[in-house]
Amino acid sequence: MLLAPSRRAGYNSFVPSVSQSIRVKVLFFGRLKEIAGRAEEVIEAVDGSTIEQLFSQYVTRLPELARYRSSLVASRNQEFAAWDTALHSGDEVAFLPPVSGG
Amino acid sequence: MATPLHEDIYQLVREPINMAELARHVRAPEDGATVTFDGFVRDHSHNRPTHYLDYEAYESMALAKMREIGAQLHEKFAIHRVAMVHRLGRLEIGETSVFIAVSAAHRNPAFDACRFAIDTLKRTVPIWKKEYFEDGAVWADGELPPAPAATSRAKPAS
Repeated sequence: MLLAPSRRAGYNSFVPSVSQSIRVKVLFFGRLKEIAGRAEEVIEAVDGSTIEQLFSQYVTRLPELARYRSSLVASRNQEFAAWDTALHSGDEVAFLPPVSGG
Repeated sequence: MATPLHEDIYQLVREPINMAELARHVRAPEDGATVTFDGFVRDHSHNRPTHYLDYEAYESMALAKMREIGAQLHEKFAIHRVAMVHRLGRLEIGETSVFIAVSAAHRNPAFDACRFAIDTLKRTVPIWKKEYFEDGAVWADGELPPAPAATSRAKPAS
């Protein structure tokens, strides 16, 4: 243990592993659900991807999403998350439009 | 002072909200006040007559956020019990979409907590409403919840 490297190999390793893919569940709400044409899906992403990169992956598929980027917040596993949060396999990610409950 | 949250109620429902029952639930002999907030569907939005509203939520996260608000209420205010219920689905004009009841020994903390609860709910709980008008529908303007700007995780210098 004493000789263990200070940074464990893993999703946030300095050295990217041979682009392994992870599976994450993505949820859409409000107008994003209408643009995506679905409420949720499980997709593959490159291991170590951030939420921002995942969003870009969607923009490639659905260019209309791009203009909403600045008015969205992201969540990971039901917590608001920074866009540079790295994703793990099995994570649940959502892109949330401004909320309007009440 | 800390009251266990298990005496509280946090719910998302698809049926009309039973306000009387919730207000009764939070009342206890040691309390002296209950403050309630009844938010209901307005018949207009930006000067246009509204026909009805349709609410949807990220349900698991919304409930977690509602409970978080509850925990904050117990921490910040000298209150007893909280009931916080939001309705989802189609709501007609005048129907209650959100109801909050807070009991306390004295009125001030009950007022303050109830106000804090609805303000925080509107800003942080992932619920959305679509407004239906005679000639179309729009997602209501909302508030962007405060979210962490960046992870604190050390970044590779690359």
